[in-house]
Amino acid sequence: MSIVKTITPAPTMEADFASSRYRMIMVARFTVGGFAREWSHCHLLANYLARYVSANEGDPERHATLLSTFINELLEVIYRNHAPDGQIELIFRKKGRHVILQITLPVSEQNRVFYRMAVQIVNQPDLKSWYRARLEEPAEGEDTMLGLLELAAVYACTLTISEPPGHDRISLFLELPEVDEMGEV
Amino acid sequence: MSNSIAPASSGTPSSGVPPSCMPVALNMRLTGDKEQEVTLTGTLRPFVAEEMTSVRRSLEQAAWSARGLLCVNLKRLKYMNNVAFLELNRFVRWAASARPDLRIKFVLSSVIPWAIRKFQVIAELYPTVTIEVYDKAFYPIQDVIEDDEFINVLRTQEKIIWEHEQEKLAWHGMRPGLRIADICCGLGDFAILLQRDFRPEYLVGVDHSKPFLRYARQVVSDFGLENIEYQYGDAAALLLPDNSFDFVTCRLSLQVFNEPQNILRELLRICKPGGRIYITNELMAGIVAHPGEQSIRWAYDKVIEIGHQLGMDMDTGLKTRQILGEAGLEDIKIHLIDINNMNSDPTDFAKVVESWSYVTGQMCVRSSQPPEVFERIKEGLHAHVNAIKSDRGFASWPIYAGSGRKPFRA
Repeated sequence: MSIVKTITPAPTMEADFASSRYRMIMVARFTVGGFAREWSHCHLLANYLARYVSANEGDPERHATLLSTFINELLEVIYRNHAPDGQIELIFRKKGRHVILQITLPVSEQNRVFYRMAVQIVNQPDLKSWYRARLEEPAEGEDTMLGLLELAAVYACTLTISEPPGHDRISLFLELPEVDEMGEV
Repeated sequence: MSNSIAPASSGTPSSGVPPSCMPVALNMRLTGDKEQEVTLTGTLRPFVAEEMTSVRRSLEQAAWSARGLLCVNLKRLKYMNNVAFLELNRFVRWAASARPDLRIKFVLSSVIPWAIRKFQVIAELYPTVTIEVYDKAFYPIQDVIEDDEFINVLRTQEKIIWEHEQEKLAWHGMRPGLRIADICCGLGDFAILLQRDFRPEYLVGVDHSKPFLRYARQVVSDFGLENIEYQYGDAAALLLPDNSFDFVTCRLSLQVFNEPQNILRELLRICKPGGRIYITNELMAGIVAHPGEQSIRWAYDKVIEIGHQLGMDMDTGLKTRQILGEAGLEDIKIHLIDINNMNSDPTDFAKVVESWSYVTGQMCVRSSQPPEVFERIKEGLHAHVNAIKSDRGFASWPIYAGSGRKPFRA
């Protein structure tokens, strides 16, 4: 598999957030050191944040169960791919019935390549076929990425990346599918 | 076999594998000569596939001993990450090769919002794999009871029952400041009335009808009520935590389930030790009215008989003490909610009985009754309505309400 050499930043996405179509829900900041101390932090944080974000939904429990699934996969990928220290920032916004997660994290060069590749794969035209093929014939070393790709292939999430020049941080934007008040995709 | 699985490699910092938490319960059982069922409940979010060793081993063991079908029951698996999913996928791939004659069925619940899409992919990949959404039809006449049409039945019922039920709720232990779960909450009217009159600290209503829950939420939203939440859920496999409610109610519902003990088990599980479980059920055999008593009695006896054919017990009310006692509850209290046309608004009462025509009609269809049977039932209901409305008539509808305390001892 080739690695994409350049990636177009997503300034439009960030500019869009300033518009009134996006409603800020919450911001969570935590240190890499604290987060990465225990694997269970992915699960606990995903459930906590999902519950918070779902508080005003018609069926908060079910909505949170679904959101936790998405947030957890993202956090698990971050857990495995981040720079040794720094701060992680997670912003939740909402546009209509869509929740958009923006996660900004410190990365090493190796991490940066990993995320570029993940975004490239997620945005390939026939992602579903690709995902199914990986389930039938898994390739070595791809498992840690498949969680993120599953979000796109199975639940129609979209993933984009923004890399401010000259920084050792990147932002990932995960737009979740439309979820109704009952927590139904 | 039934046990809890600890992660196979709950690693230490020195092992390079981060400490993990994977609170999953694993249960295997033979369900027949040819079938095996493996049940996974709780959370499956391992760091690495090796943590799934026990699960994988159990699945393979079950696959070797099953001769026709292996059911993998995931209906109460609330969380699963992709690492666990990939391991299940590997198991399916292994089974397709090692046991090509074996069919695998993933049993899912529509209550778990991520599950169906996820496992559909596996079902599409492997011809030996199917998925079953078990709660699409998990009790008799489910589609009738969960339908929009049933909303009218419930609205009229709730109105006249509450007038009589309310005065005895305190005797059953209802008081302000409780954490309450109303299981099979229907339109949520009971929850709202409790909120108004008893000011619970928190109240959650659970039902399996999306139209009812939409209605319930709209009411809560319109009136700006707080501390009430609704959940789409399966009463026999609730996602509510153990020992977490002071007062658990389940009204006019056990009678329509063919396996009410599964619901009672859940009511008991979510109730705090020392908390109370409150149930109400009809005694259809006790419905009496005059004039027209013969026609009326025939109709209700027939409905009871058809109910039995469909797996429902419309006389559950009479067994309230037995039900609560067998569930292990203490301090059992029972009272009769005696609705009649002298103590209730006859117009509302008549509307309730008129609305039963829809449900009984559907019951007749499901049990393949000849058309004349439904005609006679309608005649009986009509006679009942006339008795209710008559100045000289008398008509009653007995409902038994019972409660019991969950013991403190284990």
